[in-house]
This record gives sequence, structure tokens and C-alpha cells, in this order.
Amino acid sequence: MSDETKTITLTVNGESVTKLVDARTHLVDFLRGELGLTGSHLGCEHGICGACSVRLDGDVVRGCLMLAIQADGASIETVEGLTASGEVADLQENFVERDALQCGFCTPGMLITAAELLREAAPKTREEIREFLSGNYCRCTGYHAIVDAVETTLTQRLEKSS
Amino acid sequence: MANSEDKGFGVGAALPRKEDKRLLRGKGMYVADVDIPGTLDVAFLRSAHAHGRLGGIEIPEGMEDRVYTAADLTRVNPVRVEPSVPGFKPADHHPLATDKVRFAGECIAACLGANRAEAEDLADALIADIEELPALHDPVAAREDPPALLHEEWGDNVYVQLDISGGDIDSVRDAPIVVTRDYRMNRQSIAPLEPRAVLAHWDARAEELVVYLSTQIPHLMRTGLSQMLNLPSHQLRIIAPDVGGGFGGKARLMPEEIVVCAIALDTGKPVRWLEDRREHLMAAPQAREHIYRVTAYADSDGIIQGIDAELTVNAGAYALWHSGPFMETGMAARNLTGPYHIENMRCRTWTVATNKPPLGVYRGVARPGACFAIERTIDAVARAVGRDPLDVRMANMVPAEQMPYEAVGGMKFDNGDYPESVRRAAEMVGYDDIRAQQGGTAVDGRVWGVGLSSYTEQTAHGAAEWTRRGSPIIPGYESATARINPDGTLVLLVGIHSHGQGMETTLAQVAHEELSIHPDAITVKFGDTAISPFGFGTFASRSMVMSGGAVSNACIVLREKLAAIAAHHLQCTTEQVRFADGEAQSDGGSIPIAELARIAHLRQDGLPDGVDPTLDATATYEPDESTGVFSYATHAAVVAVDPHSGAVELVDYAVVEDCGNVVNPMIVDGQIVGGVAQGIGTALYEESVYDTNGQPLSTTFADYLLPGATEIPDIKIGHMVTPATFTRFGLKGMGEGGAIAPPAAIGNALSDAFAAIGAEFNETPYTPRRVLDALERAPKA
Repeated sequence: MSDETKTITLTVNGESVTKLVDARTHLVDFLRGELGLTGSHLGCEHGICGACSVRLDGDVVRGCLMLAIQADGASIETVEGLTASGEVADLQENFVERDALQCGFCTPGMLITAAELLREAAPKTREEIREFLSGNYCRCTGYHAIVDAVETTLTQRLEKSS
Repeated sequence: MANSEDKGFGVGAALPRKEDKRLLRGKGMYVADVDIPGTLDVAFLRSAHAHGRLGGIEIPEGMEDRVYTAADLTRVNPVRVEPSVPGFKPADHHPLATDKVRFAGECIAACLGANRAEAEDLADALIADIEELPALHDPVAAREDPPALLHEEWGDNVYVQLDISGGDIDSVRDAPIVVTRDYRMNRQSIAPLEPRAVLAHWDARAEELVVYLSTQIPHLMRTGLSQMLNLPSHQLRIIAPDVGGGFGGKARLMPEEIVVCAIALDTGKPVRWLEDRREHLMAAPQAREHIYRVTAYADSDGIIQGIDAELTVNAGAYALWHSGPFMETGMAARNLTGPYHIENMRCRTWTVATNKPPLGVYRGVARPGACFAIERTIDAVARAVGRDPLDVRMANMVPAEQMPYEAVGGMKFDNGDYPESVRRAAEMVGYDDIRAQQGGTAVDGRVWGVGLSSYTEQTAHGAAEWTRRGSPIIPGYESATARINPDGTLVLLVGIHSHGQGMETTLAQVAHEELSIHPDAITVKFGDTAISPFGFGTFASRSMVMSGGAVSNACIVLREKLAAIAAHHLQCTTEQVRFADGEAQSDGGSIPIAELARIAHLRQDGLPDGVDPTLDATATYEPDESTGVFSYATHAAVVAVDPHSGAVELVDYAVVEDCGNVVNPMIVDGQIVGGVAQGIGTALYEESVYDTNGQPLSTTFADYLLPGATEIPDIKIGHMVTPATFTRFGLKGMGEGGAIAPPAAIGNALSDAFAAIGAEFNETPYTPRRVLDALERAPKA
């Protein structure tokens, strides 16, 4: 039973948050339920589908495999934060252009993972892009358009930086 | 149609999707995102046994108020599905088990908590007394030699036995070539990425139960829930917000949904249930599990004269509202002769009850199995007569000049050039080059094969087809309200739903085609029974044709009214008015639709005599012929197989399809690729495995394998366009087709790779173990 609680302080999308949470509350449930950041989705709750992916201190993690209390002191970024900062604006635009989403349920997690690939700003083959995205399930698109959108964004960024 | 020269936004334009913006920013609103203060979460106590008699349920002291069992659901009617199919045996399906449990995962009790964790704690503390009975897992054994009866009053385990035939199969028994094969397409999950979800609360002001539901069919769900809850429809409002994929898996009324609504009515509090993945994999509707024995009679050129088949479908423990499982066998049997000119067919079918979750409808419904059976058989016949499967396939096909053509199973193919799709698909994967290479040893130590598979996809079928099937409801039409606001913007209210299909965009394109209003000034609303006229929902590849037709009809009514107002102001006849660029135009001048809308709503003094104010029209649409329009395609798969590990790589995959005229080619391509990916899942990865006690062994995504980005190759697509002759704009539906052919195409490619030793691949999914087994069993291994 949930007798244990803990007060945690963390930074979420650039804002400091202090909350009392049940020790057993998962990070993604905390983000969704306590902070209303419902862009992170629960697709399997056992770490496979990737729909709950968020960024923790710069790394992509599964929000369903971490407890909120483990994020005490950390900095979290969700799809809402990545959107607000403009970091993935070009990627989002290419998702639209290429029809790289259908039902949209996997999309936030897919963007978070793709953003990590794009941050490296190193050339990647389509196979490497597929490998990088292989921890995020999409049931609708068959991935082809997603790979296209990520590849296009990467190419555009590399062209811009060269 | 509007006289617009501008096709940039209308039918045929690759318009970017209107729905993408919110979904890309984490602002989609799925049921789990709906925040109603004070909501209680439900967790279900589910049966741990596949089959048993349910005795008492032990509830911890003091917790009784937080637990609902069947005895507490006094207002709820059991689900009882009774299609108009001779001999179909109905059975009561109680949303919470009463005297028996019939599959592992069946709901026994609902537990309430302030959050899901507390509800689960309580469910874990409950003890159900279950006396185990022998479990039925194999449908053939369940009908031939059952160790137990699921629904005792039936006297057997067969929902329905049907024979479907045409021509005279006995007339071809002495054909020179007789090929018999057994095929098995195993059971699988549907697995939309958003699990099922329902939140219900009583709205005291409106005096209605508001039900947020992840469903493809909001209006039908209201009809079903109204029956089960004894609650009249005007006190029931279904809101299906963003839905994270359906694929058929959210097109049936499920026990959990009824229970949550009943508890919300009983408590007066908001109550929700959010399915977790384990529950989805063990208790959501499942699909496939077809077992065939097919005998083909052919001449020495491989021209098939008749097909004699037996089909057993494992429909699981219960019949789901609204239709039950009967369509699966009937559709499979009637599609069993594929796109081929085969004059004699007989198919004996059994729809069998076992201790597995109920069969639902999954993308392709029945046809992936039928396609698998006939397409593997075509290849087997080709091998038997020593010809290339490509040639035998084309030689048996209904040629374009024979269209329209009524197949022996009763399908009325409308038009198209089926053999041409084979030729083009083969060309796209370099069929001849692969054949040339197959003579030598593959450089990478793997064995390569190429396979083809063709199918037709009956879509947008209306009353005639659904009546013929014996469906309890006849989803033969769709409806739409088109409403122009005082400022000239347009709202479309439709009864279908969109959960990936892009209908917010394509229906706006249809309205633009009729009225020339810019898509940015059009909103498409659906998924709320309080705002749209009654409609059936999104399934059976029907929404673009049916709802598109309804939107078109409603917009035409508005256009005529706008023309009358415009003619009055432009001093011309209504016939002289044309619509383009958001304006009504005549040779003498123009007037913006926004101005006409202002007049219609705010300045009645500007209306001509006999024209009523407002611009608001509701219309329905059913295609002129209701037997359906048939999309078709040929898929070509190239595999490379490691004969030592059994690993299969899809090296190349091509689709050549014809779905008539296209509203949005970008969205059509997306549907094709997505469907193919699901078909590849069926072919190579996805299987809901059960042990002999009926225990589910695939209850996480670690055991139940969905294809990821590394499992699906880039998909090549080739289009042919044969406009439908009896639908608006010449459209055909196409949402399901991609999922139909991959199991057959890949099975044919595998069999092709190992043709030299006669290995055959007749059971899906083709896991490494099954591949190795097939190689071991090969006649010339």
C-alpha cells in the first residue's frame, strides 16, 4: 500500500516544481496526473513501446520505468517543453509534410527519440535512423514516413550547419 | 461540383493534415487525458483460469462498497447477439461473470480506488473461488471431440456451421491436378498503441450520462450501451475524443465499458477504466485464428476449375455486440476464390467457441486468412504443374474485359485490371532478376525468394451486402450536417470517427470541392453523439466513400441555397452562379460566401422570396449500388532467409493498388504502408500464444512482438486508377487492404526460396522456429 510519500523538487520544461508524491508513483503518471502534461502517453507501461519517452537530464528515458522520486533534483523535458523551446519545430514541420503520424499516440515519444538523434547532427543512413527509432513502436504508419521525416530534418540541419 | 479551377485543396490534392498540429505538440486529447476532478479508477479482478465454475468471491472486510460483482449490476442487461444467420446459437454474456468463467482474463469483479494503484491493490486482495473445468484452446478439437462445453445449452461448441458454395464442385473431381493443403493463420492481438479507455460521469445539469470512450463507433456505442444499461439514448452522450488507433479493435461493445457506466450511474461519481497492455493482450478482442484445408482442382496448365475447402475459425468465448463472430467465416469463404475466375467452390465453415478471448474485427476482417489460403494454393498449383506462380496467377485472374464480374462466392467485382497489378508489382521488385540470380548461390549465405499475392477488398458496401450477411444492424449509409456560420466559415458534423485516417482533412477537401471554401475555414467535428447526426462510425473501409458522399450531399444543398441568394444579388439566374475561391460568381460580378452567409443569418431582408434563413443542411449518402466497390492490389515480397537460424529479412516489398479516384494521395499512401506493416506483423511476428490449459503466454510486448522500425522495410507503391462507377467522385475505400496480402506474399516468397527442396510455409507467423521446422519437413530436405 502507498504509505510512503516524499516531497520532490525537480525542473520540468524549465520550471521548478515541488510536490509531495507517493513513493510508488511512476514518473510519467506524475507528469500526466500532477502536472497535466498529457503529451507523454502510456502505451504498455513496461518499457517497450516508447510512447512515454521523456528527456531526463538530457537523456531519453522511459517515463513508465522510473519513479517520480527517482527524478528528484533532475531536469525533465517533455514534448510540451520541446515544442515550446522550438527545438523540434523543423522536425514537427517535416512530420506534417511527410504524413509521418496518423493516430498521433506514439508521436510525442517518437519526437523525443528523434530529437536525440538529431542533436548529434551527424550523417546517418536510413538503417541507422531505423535502428535509433527501434525502441518506439508506431502501429499506424509502418515507419516509412517517420524515417523520411527524420532523414529530411537531419539533412536540412546538416546543410544549414555546413 | 464547384467550378473551381483550383485543385490545390479539393479532391485529389495531397493536402497536409489539419489534425496534425495538436497531435505533434502533445495537445491531443485521448480519454486518459480527460481530467474530471474526483474521478475514481477501476481495476478488474480477472479470471486466472481459462474455464471454470465461479463460486464465491471473497472481499476484504470493509471494502464491500468499493467492489462490484455481477450481483451488484442489477440494472444491467447481459449482451446477447442474435444475427439473422440460420442456426446461430446465442448466449448471454454477462459483463461480470456470474456462474462460469470462460477465458483467462474474463472480468469477475470491478474494484474502485482513488487512483489505479489503489484499485489494483483491492483487486489483488480479492479471492475468487473457481472450480476448474477442462479448457478448450484448439477450435478443431473443440468442435470434433470436446472435453467440455462452453455454453452447455448449445449441446456443442459451435456458434454456427455454414456451407457456402457456388457452381458444382463435384463436376471437377476428376481434374488432372489435385492439390490439397492445410493452412493455419494463428490468433493475434489488434494492439492499437492507445489501449482501451472509458470514463463515465453523470451530468446532473444535462441529466445525462457522459461517456468518454476510445471507440471507432460513438453512435453505435450509444445504441448498445442504451440497451445494456436500460438508459434511454437522450440520457446518454458518447464522446470519443482523439483515439489512439482502432483497426477494428475499438468497434465492439466490451464488458468493461458497460461495467464502468453502470458504476458511474450507481455512484453518481466519475468513474474510469484505463486498460493496461497486459489486459489488452489477454482480454481485448483478438483476431484471425483461421484453420483451412483447401483442395484445388486444376488442369495441367494450372487453370483452377474448383476449390473445395473446410474452414474452422476460433471465435473465442463470447459473441461481441453488435454482430458477433459470424461474419468471419462467411467473409473468408466468399473471398476464398480471390480475384480469380474459378467457377466451382464449396467451403464448409465452423465458427467455434473456445476458452480464448472473443474474436473481434481486425483490419482486413477474414480476408487476410482467405487471401493466405488461396494465394498459397495458387503457388502450390503452379509448382504442381511446373509453371512460375506469376504466370499461373495471371492466367487464373479475372481479366479486365470480363468486368463487371460476379465471383462464385457472390462478390460483384465492379472494375479494374487485376492481372496488370501483378505484372507491375513483379516489375517493381525485379522479379526476373531475382529469378536469374536464384540459379546461383546467394553471396551472403542466405536463400532468396520472391512471392506475390493479390486480393480484392470489398469496400463501402451498403444495405444489400450487410443484409445478405445477416448483420443485426445495416450500416449502409452515412450522414453529415454541413453548417455555414454567419461569417462564412463551415462546420461539418459527421457520424464517423477519425483515428489516424485523416478525415478532418479529407472531408474538408470534399467540402472545398463542392463550395470552394478554403480548408482553413472548415472544421470537421465528430466523436460526440450530442453534436453530429446519427452515423455508424469508421470501419469496413467505408468512411471516405460514405461520409464523403454525405458531406458532398449536404454541401450541395447549401450550394443551391447560396446560389439562390447570390442570384438575387447578382441579378442573374441560379444556373448562372458558379463557386470559386470562396465566392459566388457570375459573368456580371461576384459576392463572397461570407457575405451570403451574413445575409442568410443576420440580414433576412437580403433574402429572396421563398428562401429561408440559415445555412444548415443534413444529408445521408449511400452508393447507388450497395454491393460494394472493390479495390484491389498485388503485393510482391522479396525475402532473404538464413537457413541455419530461420531468420527472415524482408529485402524488398512492393504494392501496386487501385482504389479508384483518390481524395488525398498522401493519406492513401500512409494507409497502404501502415496496413502492410500490420500485415507483416501477422506474417512474421505477432501471435497470441496459449498453452493447452488456455493460459495466455503473450501478455506483454516482450512476448507479443510488434514490428518496429527495423522490421519494416521501405514500401514501394505503384498506383493504378480505375474510377468507381457508382460512388461520388469515383472513390473506393482502401483502409484495410494493406494488411490483407503480406502473410500470403511472404509465405509465397519463403516457399519460393526453398522450392528446390519443396519446403512450404503454411502457418503464420513464420517465426524462426517455424521456418526451421518447415525446412526440416521439406520432402527433399
